Amino acid sequence: MNTNSLLISRRQFIRLAGGAVLYSMISSPFPGIAAETGGGFIAEASCSKPPCDVRALTRKLFESVGGMSRFISKGDVVVIKPNISWARAPELGATTHPDVLETVIFLCQEAGAKKVRIADNTIHEARNCFAVTGVDQVAKKTGADLVYPLSNLMRDMNLQGHRLNVWPVFTPFKEADKIINLPVAKVHSLSGLTLGMKSWIGAVGGRRNALHQDIHQSIVDLAQFFRPTITLIDAIRIMTANGPSGGSASDVAVVNRLILSDDPVAADAMACDLFQVKPSAIAHIQLAQKWGLGTTDFSRLTRYQVVL
Amino acid sequence: MKIKHLIYLRRISQVLFLLLFLFLLMETRLPQNVFLDYSQEIAGPKDIRLNYPVMFFFDMDPLILLTTMLSTHKWLAGAGWALAIIALTLFLGRFFCSFVCPFGTLHHAIGTTHPAAKGRHAAAMNEKTPSQRLKYGLLLMVLVSALFGLNLAGFMDPIALLFRSLSVSILPAVNIGVKEVFDAMATSDIKILNLISYAAEIIVSPVLGFGYPAYQTGFAIGLIVLALLFLNRVRPRFWCRVLCPLGALFGLLSFKSLLNLEKDETRCTGCNKCTAACQGAASPRPGVKWEPAECVRCFNCQHVCPEDALSFRFILLKSQKYAPDMGRRAVLTGLTAGIAFPLLSRLDGQIHQASDPRLIRPPGSLTETRFLERCQRCGLCMKTCPTNVISPALGEAGLAGIWTPVLNMAIGYCEYSCTLCSSVCPTGAIQPITGKEKISGPIRIGSAFVDRGRCLPWTENGACIVCEEVCPTSPKAVVFREADVAGFGAERLRLKQPYVNLQQCVGCGICENKCPVKGTPAIRVIASGESRSPKNQILLIS
Repeated sequence: MNTNSLLISRRQFIRLAGGAVLYSMISSPFPGIAAETGGGFIAEASCSKPPCDVRALTRKLFESVGGMSRFISKGDVVVIKPNISWARAPELGATTHPDVLETVIFLCQEAGAKKVRIADNTIHEARNCFAVTGVDQVAKKTGADLVYPLSNLMRDMNLQGHRLNVWPVFTPFKEADKIINLPVAKVHSLSGLTLGMKSWIGAVGGRRNALHQDIHQSIVDLAQFFRPTITLIDAIRIMTANGPSGGSASDVAVVNRLILSDDPVAADAMACDLFQVKPSAIAHIQLAQKWGLGTTDFSRLTRYQVVL
Repeated sequence: MKIKHLIYLRRISQVLFLLLFLFLLMETRLPQNVFLDYSQEIAGPKDIRLNYPVMFFFDMDPLILLTTMLSTHKWLAGAGWALAIIALTLFLGRFFCSFVCPFGTLHHAIGTTHPAAKGRHAAAMNEKTPSQRLKYGLLLMVLVSALFGLNLAGFMDPIALLFRSLSVSILPAVNIGVKEVFDAMATSDIKILNLISYAAEIIVSPVLGFGYPAYQTGFAIGLIVLALLFLNRVRPRFWCRVLCPLGALFGLLSFKSLLNLEKDETRCTGCNKCTAACQGAASPRPGVKWEPAECVRCFNCQHVCPEDALSFRFILLKSQKYAPDMGRRAVLTGLTAGIAFPLLSRLDGQIHQASDPRLIRPPGSLTETRFLERCQRCGLCMKTCPTNVISPALGEAGLAGIWTPVLNMAIGYCEYSCTLCSSVCPTGAIQPITGKEKISGPIRIGSAFVDRGRCLPWTENGACIVCEEVCPTSPKAVVFREADVAGFGAERLRLKQPYVNLQQCVGCGICENKCPVKGTPAIRVIASGESRSPKNQILLIS
């Protein structure tokens, strides 16, 4: 049984590799974001009383905005970027909730996605992260490809940022039709909060530990390069202390909320409220708005609210 | 099956055990299909464990059993297999060398496919020589020095030697060759080459390791094993005949064995084919005294004898005459060395005085004295470590501790919740621990200190705080204070300057590993404060 599943995963990887190459030849790298053309939206979902059915909440959230088919077309290769940087149990709130991830993958598949991939260049050793965060199990259950961040899957690209120019990019993102950013909401001592835009640090390789020297500009440079179709911020559990790695149950607050938007700045701005922080206090959110990556003015967006 | 055809059984057994050895070596890694149930409580996260009993060959190695019992005066768990091998040896002689030992099989194969000499010369090379006494001296040295608290078995035990050489030297070297080709293919403009490179890396990485596993002193370890294999060109199975202490132990155990060679001198025509085929240089030719302690029970002599003058039978030999030829000099040299080495090895003060700051042992390791009593330098912990942080020591543990495991934070870091290395140690030098024990104990392997002369915020060169971000403990051991500094530009900087709370620090070294200052990082871990040593503490209360 053991060797068997190993073989399957190998085949999956080989198929993945083949698919990745084929798609790089025919697909355009990044879809634009709706917010630029106006008519963006932001949606919130929350559970009124515990226990919260996270899977049902995720489904209901997508239903409220018109279903996943609004974002994902038939035959798309979808790459989902969870935050699975740390080899921590999901209960510790350092990584994306596996149930949210699982439901989003199923929704993509139901919307006709040809291929769903999970990709994140982790900080802790990747296979440990896959195992401990539960994402391995999600991949097994859903049949999505879990991409191991191999060094030869990093390709130098010009990010054309203010601070960052040529930088190694994790190729699955380059080779996707649609990208879904699925971060978890956490505090971070340097950037203030770790939300959607900060999560793109997990989509590049190279000397990532040097990004901290100008963290806000680096985040915005990455956010203008990686433009997701939608950002879904997982705030089922949020990390309120000791971020971004946490490590103790006391660092985590269960708030049972999800924020979905096609505007990466708006999604991050709305998540600030969870931490009783004003979006204006987070420098990279301000900077991103200034650069036209989105808005923190929710009145310019269609708003949806779901309560389970 | 006629007894004459035993060599076919032997070949099958050799191939199977060699393949099993290589398979278990390959499986000494983080399982490739680790699916943990994430619904578990925080309090009891299930520890990741290997899928196979990779310690099997070590468990059945009587030399490891014996030296560990001599040095620790304790029973070694999992010794059943070794006892079974000893019992079988008492009946069958050194069958292990010819039927089981993977290192012996390699020597056998090289000697057979690339014989050092042919015909008459081959027979001359297989005559017994006095040099074969050396292995008994080495065995005595290993046993006596174990009694005095220094376990040297792993240097020369064939199982430990082969495992170490393959896992920290040969395989990583092959990996470098292969991966450099793949990386070149990945940067190619030809798409099909990209495709092949991705796929090939995914296929070879579970065997050779992800990325580029690196081990200090791997070069020397590889050179030694290659030299030992090359010695087959000097004399066939040079290692098994002259050097192997495990072979010597089996030799001592086998001189009263029941499966013995019966020679029929009336049939012998003196063709000497038996000697030309002899693996152990055990004098199979009728007319000379057979050496049961040198015989590896390969059954070649009986197989090649055209006159059926040789046959292995269950018979009793008159033991005095057939006692192993150990040689008084080899015995005395071995005894002297066995007493001298453990004492000389402590002259560097590692045990009684301050230990080397770089002597950072894997989590769960025993105190240094107890550790050196048990460690076989086999490389199981090094091979299994998913972050490649464990390396064979060069000078960190003194000369006595060469090739014992130390953590090298320049290459990796100790994953906070990982306890894989503790689960594979065959002798318990690294005690089995759980992730929960490691975190809540906490098990400290060292302490981190910030080097303010190098740290970017402390030298006013800019923001950083990567060490604080990656610190895995809760609350964090790396904390910071905010300072308003002049910097080197026009505007003043408000920087977060890190320092370490030693009460929290476990010494995992991820801060050192991820620090942007490479070479000598701005935050480094030293062994001081390690929980395994009551002496090597910093704080009054920790």
